[in-house]
Amino acid sequence: MELAFDKQANRKERLAFVRAYAAWVKRTPDAEWSRQQAELIDSFFENARNMPLTSREYIERVAGRGRSKKTSRR
Amino acid sequence: MDIRYSKDTITFSEKHLTRLDMFVLGFIRVLEPCTPYVIVSGYVAILFGRSRGTEDVDILVPRLEKEAFGDLHATLSAQGYEFLNAEGADGLYDMLMNRMGIRIARTDQFIPNIELKFLKDDVDQRVFADRVGVNLSDATVYISPIEIQIAYKLYLGSEKDIEDALYLFEIFKNDLDQQNLKAWMKKFGVRGDEYGIGI
Repeated sequence: MELAFDKQANRKERLAFVRAYAAWVKRTPDAEWSRQQAELIDSFFENARNMPLTSREYIERVAGRGRSKKTSRR
Repeated sequence: MDIRYSKDTITFSEKHLTRLDMFVLGFIRVLEPCTPYVIVSGYVAILFGRSRGTEDVDILVPRLEKEAFGDLHATLSAQGYEFLNAEGADGLYDMLMNRMGIRIARTDQFIPNIELKFLKDDVDQRVFADRVGVNLSDATVYISPIEIQIAYKLYLGSEKDIEDALYLFEIFKNDLDQQNLKAWMKKFGVRGDEYGIGI
C-alpha cells in the first residue's frame, strides 16, 4: 500500500537524519553544538509560555497521553 | 563533542546551558538535600545534544516516608515550585505510593515540569544504583546508565523513543559496555539492528 511505503520511507529518512546529526555533534566543539541546541530548546519554551492552558487542563492532557502511550507499548 | 566518559562519570568541556538545563539544575539544588535521585528518559538524550524539546523531565527517587515527603513538599513550595496535580501533600504522597508520577513546575508555569516518581521495580532500582554523574557547569546531575536508556527507549517503541535510542547509541557507541547493553536489550526483549543499533 502506498501510504505504508511512505511511512517506512519517512522513518528511514528520520533515522538517517538522527545518525547524521549525531555525527555532526560528535565532530563539533561542545560550545558550538550546545549553542545551536540552546537556541532551539529556548525558543520551544518561549512558545510554551503562550499556551492558553490552566495547570488542570495540562494535567488532563498529559494523563490522556500517558494512557495512549501505555497501550502502544510493545 | 569533547566529553570524557567513564563508567560512572561523564564530563563536558564547555556546554552552553539551555533553559531546560537551568530548570533541571535549579530543581535538583532543592531536591538533593532531601533525597538522592536519578534522571531518566528523554532528558538524557537532550542533555547530550538531541535536537528536540520536551515538556517534562522524569526523575526517580527512592521511596520516602510520608513525613520526609511532607518536608520536600514544604521546601519546594517555599522555593517557588508548584505541584500541578490538584492534590495536597497527603494526596500527592498517595499518588506516589500508587506508582504514579506527580508533576512539579515553577510557580505559574507548567512547561517545563518535573515528573517525579518513586522507584517501583528492579529495573528502577538498578538504574538508581548504577546512576552516572554528569559534570555540567559547576554542578553534577545524575542520570540513568546509557546502556539501560537505549534498551528502555527501544522497549517504549514510539518514533521519538527509537530516535532517542539511536541518538544515544551513535553518540556513545565507542564507550558503551556492549555486553551490558546486550543484556539489557535481552531483558527488555528488544532488538536494535533494524534501526542501526548493532551490537
